[in-house]
Parts: sequence; C-alpha cells; structure tokens
Amino acid sequence: MAPQLANWFPILVFMAIAGLIALAMVAGSLLAARQKPYAEKISAYECGFEPFDDARRRFDVRFYLVAILFIIFDLEVAFLFPWAVSLGRIGLFGFFSMIAFLGVLTVGFIYEWRKGALDWE
Amino acid sequence: MNWALALPEIVLACAGMVLLVAGVLARANAFMLACTGSLGAFLAVGLLVFTTGVGHAYSDLFVVDAYSRFAQVLILVAGALGILLAMDWTRQEHLRRFEFPLLMLFSIVGMMLMVSAASLMSLYIGVELMSLPIYVLAAFARENVRSAEAGLKYFVLGSLASGLLLYGISLVYGFAGTTEFSTVSVALSDPANLSPGLVVGVVFVLAGLAFKVSAVPFHMWTPDVYEGAPTPVTAFMGTAPKVAAMSLLVRVMDGPFGHLIGQWQLLVTVVAVASMLLGALAAIGQRNIKRLMAYSSIGHMGYALIGLAAGTSQGVRGVMIYLVTYVFMNAGTFAVILGMRRDGRAVEGIADLAGLGRTDPTRALWLAIFMFSMAGIPPFAGFWGKYFIFAAAVQSGLWALAVIGVLTSVIGAFYYIRIIKLMYFDEAATAFDAMPPSLSFAAAATGLFTGLFFMFPAPIVAAAEAAARALMG
Repeated sequence: MAPQLANWFPILVFMAIAGLIALAMVAGSLLAARQKPYAEKISAYECGFEPFDDARRRFDVRFYLVAILFIIFDLEVAFLFPWAVSLGRIGLFGFFSMIAFLGVLTVGFIYEWRKGALDWE
Repeated sequence: MNWALALPEIVLACAGMVLLVAGVLARANAFMLACTGSLGAFLAVGLLVFTTGVGHAYSDLFVVDAYSRFAQVLILVAGALGILLAMDWTRQEHLRRFEFPLLMLFSIVGMMLMVSAASLMSLYIGVELMSLPIYVLAAFARENVRSAEAGLKYFVLGSLASGLLLYGISLVYGFAGTTEFSTVSVALSDPANLSPGLVVGVVFVLAGLAFKVSAVPFHMWTPDVYEGAPTPVTAFMGTAPKVAAMSLLVRVMDGPFGHLIGQWQLLVTVVAVASMLLGALAAIGQRNIKRLMAYSSIGHMGYALIGLAAGTSQGVRGVMIYLVTYVFMNAGTFAVILGMRRDGRAVEGIADLAGLGRTDPTRALWLAIFMFSMAGIPPFAGFWGKYFIFAAAVQSGLWALAVIGVLTSVIGAFYYIRIIKLMYFDEAATAFDAMPPSLSFAAAATGLFTGLFFMFPAPIVAAAEAAARALMG
C-alpha cells in the first residue's frame, strides 16, 4: 500500500464500522420490531409536506424568514468552532476580530427582533 | 499591522450599524434620522479619507493610495447626492422607511472597499457588499410589480456575474498561485508563466466586472432594472456603483493584469465600441426617460472604457475625469426626472417634457445643460471628460477607437438634443408640480458644476493625474 494511502486507514475502518452499524439497525428493526404498515406510515417523510404534490404550491413566506434567520446563527457557530479551537494561537487580534463579528451579528439581531421578524403571528 | 488605513471604511460601517439600531429603536422620524445621519457620516468619512495615511494593510489585502482616495471621495459625493435625491421622493411615494438610506450607506462601504482592494479576495467581498444592498433597493417598492421584477432580475443576473467573477478569480489563483495584486503582477511579468487558463481567468474577471459597469455584451439587465427600480435607486445605481466598478476594473486590468495588456486590449476595445454603438443607437427609439438614461449610461461606460483600452497613465486620468463629469451630469438629470410629477403622480415619458422651457424655465435650463453635457458639447463638463479620453486614445495610437467614439457621440447627440428641442420648441404640456427644495438644490448644484466645469478643471485634472500616477507608477 502506498504510504500516503496508509494515512487514510482509520477512515476506512470508520466507514466499515458506520456501514455495519447502519446495517445492524435496519436489520434489527426488520427482524425484532412488530410491523404494521399502512399507506400513510410507509410514505416518505418530507418536512411536513405532501411527498407527491405540485411543486408550485404556495407556502408561507415566513418559512423563508425563519430559514434566513437560522442561517445567520448557523454561520456564526460555524465560525465560532475553529475560532475557539485556535484561540491560543491567534492572540488578541483574533479574539477581537471575532468579537467584532459577533457585534455585527448582534446589531442584526436587535434589528430583526425590533422589526418583529421573530414573531410568528 | 496598519489597521488604521481602513479607518474610513470602519467608521462608515460602524455609523451604519449605529444608525440601524437607532432607526429601529426610534419612535418617530427614523427616516430623517437615517438620512441626516448618513449624510453626516459621508461628510466625516470624506474628511477621514484625506487624513489617513497611504500604504498597504491587512496582509496586502487592502491598499490606500491617491487612486483609491480619488475614487472614494467621488463615491461619497455620489452617495450623498443619491440620498439627497431620495429624501422627498420617498415621502411622495410612501416609501419612507429608514432602511432606504442605510442600504445606500452599506453599499457605499462595499464600494469603498472595492476601490481599495489589493487582492482578488477583497475585490470580491467589496463587489458583493456593494451589490447585495442594491438588489434590495431595486425591489424596495415591493408592492410594485415592476420594482419587484427589477430586483429579482438584477439579483439573478448579478449572481451569475458574481459566479463568473469567482470562476475567473479561481482560475487566476490556480495559474498564478496567489490572489494578491502585487504578486500576481510579478508572476505575470514573466512571459513563461502565461498560460491559456490564465488568460481565460482574466477574461472571466473582465466579464464579471463588465456586468457591473453594464458594458455590452453584459448590459441586458440595465434597461429593465433602470426602468423598474424606484427612480432614486436608478439615480443611485447610475452613479456611485458605476464609479466603483469602473475604478476597480481599471485597477485590476492595469495593476495585476497589466503585463497581459496584449491579451485584453482588443477585448476592452471591442466592448467599448459595442457599448458606445448600442448606447447611441438603442436610445433613439426610447419613450421612457429612465430607459433612455439606461442606454445613455451604457454608452458613457463605453467612452470610459476607451481610457482603459489605452492602457496608459493618460488613459487612467481620462477615465477618472470622465467619471467625475458623469456622476454630476447623471445625478443632475435624475434630479430633474424625479421632479417630473403631475397632480402628485410621477410621470416618466420623454414626451411629458414638452414645453418645459415655457412652463418652468429654470428646470429646463438645468436639463438643457445636462443634455448638452451628455452629448459632449463644449464648454460643458461632458465635453472635457470625452476630450481627455479621446486624447489618451490618440496618444496610444488607437485612432480607430477615437474616431468611432466621436462618431457615436454625434449619433448620441441626436437624442440628447431632441429632448432640448422638445422642451423649447414643442407645444407646452401641462406644467409639472413644483420641485421640492432638495431636488432644486441638487439640480442647481450639479448644474452649476456641469456648466462651469471649464472654469476650474485644474484641481480635478491634477487630482486625477496624481491618481493615475499612483496606479501606473
């Protein structure tokens, strides 16, 4: 085996174990659980929407708003993790860069809160 | 690290955020608070631009030089004019929401970043920060179908252009090994490094930025978006973003890609000729004055691109002077267009201007000055812009380009002067409503600048000269 591929061996083990666990769970539920299927139960679950329906259906614009607000804080966390891990090496400048970023997000948060974007009704 | 070099941008961004919170917390008059706050911030930042030093900062992502200063001051002036033009119109159209001036302010922050970009990454962030607020502004009259359409159209096409730009940047990075302008320039100075992939990357970057300056063949969005967007937004889109995108285009092409001039000169020439021709010919049949201004701006960007095609310091000087004259005459024309109201309703037909010379002589005088200036008739500002551009083209031996430029400005003069004929020689239509003071002031200030530019060109020409020298060395 080429030496650079050897570094990926743990990944191979990881994938094998993941496959085994997934197989065990599906097989276990097939063999051990009671099966009482009916149409509604075996249809695909699509985030609360009908799985087979006209895609051009209207739905509430507020879903978009919630999704966008979610993305803001989702991104924040995506930035915060590597920042927290490397905080020892990036020093004060790195620390205050993130604080400035969080400050900008907070301004956006105050704005959306006062605008009532967080109220569903 | 010299972070203070970006102080103007930082101050402006912070002012924008403070105004955003103040506006959303204010009980009354948030709109006027945001307007005056933004104008004050522009003034303060304009002074700051002159006091901060010169140099590179942020690991060579950011540069301040005479060129970026010149463009930034012009962008701030254009932004201030944009807010001034919006103040009364938003009241009349019931769009008096305080986000309006603040979106302009955040867009201006992006433009200032753009012209100070010293790396392809900061370039891209600047372009996006400029564009996103303008997408929202274009759809600001959200109950109006045309405005919503304009916003969506601009957003979809703008995202496509951003994609092209990013694709070009990634190719340049892949072949040159860096995104910093200075090191890209060093890498490209060796002809051995010149690969087809790199040239394709440069062409994609050129295409992405040509979209932002609405040069042919990337102009398709311009007439629809100009017509559909609320008129003050059209005025804003026609001035500040054009200055920023054109300055950036010149910096990128003459800076990091300067050694490739043999590859892109012909392309820029073709784009310039096509823009001038389309601007001159397509505007003739227009009946809506905002559409006319869209084609006019396409043509004007074509003229400015001649200066880029020249590839010399004189050419850059010409572009900067052209942009100054263009901002003032364009903002002034829109001040008059925004004042076109009958019985409280905005009208946009060119025919509505008939007989304005008799019903409102002052307004007609300003519009006549702007139209003569746009047509490039001496002694108005537009003539001097074209003069410096054509002189640079001739000095670089681009005779054909200069001749085509003169010919298309003669064709373009037809529709500009037709408006003057309409105003002074045609049967008078019903008079317009009185102009609000903000519009009268904007029209008078830009009109005086456009009309009297020939009396004081020296400081502006000298500043443009210094800017060009800072860029071309």
